[in-house]
Amino acid sequence: MDVTFSVNGERVRVDVEPRHTLADVLREQCGLTGTHLGCEHGVCGACTVLVDGQPARACLMFGVQADGSSVVTVEGLAGDDELHPLQEAFVVHHGLQCGFCTPGMLISAMHLLDTDPEPTREKIREQMSGNICRCTGYIGIVDAIAAAADVMRSGDTGVSDRVSARAQETPSHIEEPKRSPPPGG
Amino acid sequence: MTATATDTAAAPHAEPIQATPSGSLGRSVRRKEDQRLVTGHGRYVSDFQLPRMQHVAFLRSPYGHARITSVNTSRAEQSGRRVFTGADFMHVVLRARSSLPSYVETDQPVLAHEKVRYQGEPVAAVVASDRYLAEDGLELVEVNYEPLPATVCAWVSPREPVHPEAADNVLLERVFETGSVDAAFGDAAVVVERDLVTNRHAGNPMECRAGVALWDPSDRKLTFWSGTQVPYIVRNMIAELLDLPEGNVRVVAPDVGGGFGVKSVLYPEDVALCLMARAMPNVPLKWVEDRAEHLAAATHARDHRYLIKAGFASDGTLLAVQADVTVNVGAYSVYPWTAGIEPLMAGGLLSGPYRLDNYRCAVRGVATNTAPAGPYRGVARPASVFAMETVLDAAARELGMTGVDVRRKNLILPEDIPYKMPSGLVDDSGHYVECLTKALDALGYDDFLAEQERRRGTDEPPIGIGFACYNELTGLGRAASAGPRMPFRTGHDACTVRVNPDGKVTVFSGVTSQGQGLETTMAQIVADGIGVDYDDVEVRIGDTDESLWGFGAFSSRQAVIGGGAAHRAAAAVKEKVLALAAGLLEVDAAALHIENGQIGVVGVPDPALSIAEVARVAYLESHRLPKGIEPGLEATKFYDPIRGVFAAGAQVAAIEVDRTTGEVRILKYVCVEDAGRAMHPQIVDGQIVGAIAQGIGGAMYEHLIYDDAGNLSTGTLLDYLMPTSAEIPEMTIEHVSHPAANPLGVRGVGEGGTLGPNAVLAGAVSDALGIQIDTLPITPSTIWKELQ
Repeated sequence: MDVTFSVNGERVRVDVEPRHTLADVLREQCGLTGTHLGCEHGVCGACTVLVDGQPARACLMFGVQADGSSVVTVEGLAGDDELHPLQEAFVVHHGLQCGFCTPGMLISAMHLLDTDPEPTREKIREQMSGNICRCTGYIGIVDAIAAAADVMRSGDTGVSDRVSARAQETPSHIEEPKRSPPPGG
Repeated sequence: MTATATDTAAAPHAEPIQATPSGSLGRSVRRKEDQRLVTGHGRYVSDFQLPRMQHVAFLRSPYGHARITSVNTSRAEQSGRRVFTGADFMHVVLRARSSLPSYVETDQPVLAHEKVRYQGEPVAAVVASDRYLAEDGLELVEVNYEPLPATVCAWVSPREPVHPEAADNVLLERVFETGSVDAAFGDAAVVVERDLVTNRHAGNPMECRAGVALWDPSDRKLTFWSGTQVPYIVRNMIAELLDLPEGNVRVVAPDVGGGFGVKSVLYPEDVALCLMARAMPNVPLKWVEDRAEHLAAATHARDHRYLIKAGFASDGTLLAVQADVTVNVGAYSVYPWTAGIEPLMAGGLLSGPYRLDNYRCAVRGVATNTAPAGPYRGVARPASVFAMETVLDAAARELGMTGVDVRRKNLILPEDIPYKMPSGLVDDSGHYVECLTKALDALGYDDFLAEQERRRGTDEPPIGIGFACYNELTGLGRAASAGPRMPFRTGHDACTVRVNPDGKVTVFSGVTSQGQGLETTMAQIVADGIGVDYDDVEVRIGDTDESLWGFGAFSSRQAVIGGGAAHRAAAAVKEKVLALAAGLLEVDAAALHIENGQIGVVGVPDPALSIAEVARVAYLESHRLPKGIEPGLEATKFYDPIRGVFAAGAQVAAIEVDRTTGEVRILKYVCVEDAGRAMHPQIVDGQIVGAIAQGIGGAMYEHLIYDDAGNLSTGTLLDYLMPTSAEIPEMTIEHVSHPAANPLGVRGVGEGGTLGPNAVLAGAVSDALGIQIDTLPITPSTIWKELQ
């Protein structure tokens, strides 16, 4: 099926098999391998992406369901020369070791800070409990999110504002007529 | 890995290096790995896409134990898919070898034929153009089975042996015996006895196993990208199993998403992938495991039973320990570590950091129809520390002592060093009382005791305090790594340090990283070792075609051993830089020093020369080379510490228990460890916190449960509970830093954290409720039942 959506602010149009998950479409067809698969049954949270501003398990969503949506993946967080405050805080506070859960952690944390710019440590621990990390013991992750919240509140939010805008933007292609499926497709 | 001392050769002690004030060691510099990992540009095996790549799915046994009566692949093959079965690879077996007298060698097939021995064992493999189609193809392979009686518990007699070579399923047995155990029990004022069972659980790294194999028939070269902790061992084993010259096999471990021991094993799927690649020349074959496969078929651990008896004098002195340890090693003797890995470690380290003269411990590894058990962070000691600390607490109660006093009475002291443990291992630490005291201070022990007392007789949740002291044997050299008597000794690593023509440095190290930040640590060591900026050092690891040799990540060895090799190689390169500079400047090399890449003459304020200028001469201006100095600036060195170094540790925690629900809440958790000199304090603490979190998971949540037929009933992350940020508490991590006798003064810290939580939490719950915790994990339902 022909599917059009935006990823990190860029329009993509892909021919997607109906049974292929959004995670596989992002990884295999869009080349965005930052979205990781840790369990493929919706528990570990490694594949978390934002779909129209809401966190979604990309392993539990079909690619075709993203048609007409705006998707933000970890590749969409950093600016050209600067990391997103969350990415920077994860580096500074040792919020990652192997890095495999990190993309999902960052996306979940971004959504948390979008909805609550000043979360307590308890709130961070509760809200982030949908993402499993096996390396860090979570303390560095909680530290990082708390620190990023401070930075983002203090106003130096160029990158994070842009990412949030991407997450909220209405895809411009929705009114476009759909191309017919390719013969035999 | 399993440790038994074999000789008393002293480790060669190089002079510990002094950090220059501008050096990077001892500082938490920005990790070199992090930029790519936080931006989604890590390079994990599952991210690889190569031209003409095909995808592999494995068909796995639905039975715990069954005879294979027929395999029919015709429908799958008619669909255009390539199919491989056990019959294709019958000539290749994985046979973990050990020369221990009691060890029964058994074979593990690449793909099962004749019979299957655990649920999830690979039986066939299907190749297709994508993973969806490969998995569809599994449904077209018809396998008929005749179920056999399964044995899932290691301490019941089998109705049908797992392997014909071992009718009683016992693959290995060994008795450790020292002193006069029976006489010592006769002298004891108090004897405590316990029957303790620990829960099977697993490392469960967030990235499951994955591999890509490619056979190039024209060069007869096999390349295997694998999420492994041990690429050089894998190269060695694959070359042997496929009968290839070792130089024709290249193993690459790129970014790896956690390992924890699970990925230090060579799996049948790995070998199958390489064999299939060889049968399909020029076609890259990719296999990415899913979590259900991982839970069923990657190695498990910690399924142990301890019948333990300990005798104490009336003043609390530990007089004797007798134990009978049974370890469920699963269906196969794990390749290449053998079924001895857990039982021998349990027997060798059971007495931990306590003085003990009289010790008898029988250990055995018993095969069952469950997934093979293998190395998991802390190997056996989370269970053996639990056993030892349990009898200490029990004795304290009977003697009317505190748990703290009974431990202080028996801990090995600095003046006892070197202390020969009853198993023959030699403890070089002795800083246990210091760790325990510091941990109690950090906990606020007296305050918790007062609060515990205040709550007695009220409706408030009772408080419990638990303790664990442990000695983590790290960085094992050739003398200490001899335990399972495997055909190889894991004592050394190599490192090559090259100053490039522009004066920047490239390090080719044999270490591997699955999150431990070894690129960073090796860069720090080399930067300070030569005298250049950390940012000017690039580190390459994980590719057997690039670096000379390294055994890989296990037994908390790489900071000590890989780090020692990096330090030695850096020192050798520095020597050549100075010799070359001395020739150019016509001064004595002893009068030169290097800092921040600048070479200066002692007593002269301005630098005389930069390393970049020296490097340019070394590579591009050979006419300027001083007499007797060859071109190039590179050195390769090995390091072997010969013995190991012990890292002392103590963990203490205060908890409260909800009597209505049985829920345990950790109020405060403290760990004090002796990491020696911490090269990167943040990474060191990260290792400790992460290890404790895994230990808490094992103590309270994680349990791989088989039913009697051998069906895994906790086969998803909905049933197998990994702790999240909502379960893992804040922790206080402190250090006593006693440099070890190795070039960098470091002790390994990768695993020690896992050793405490079982004992700490079981002890704390027992203390809070006055109940006995003999079986792990400690769940609300087990506590609630105990309270009824």
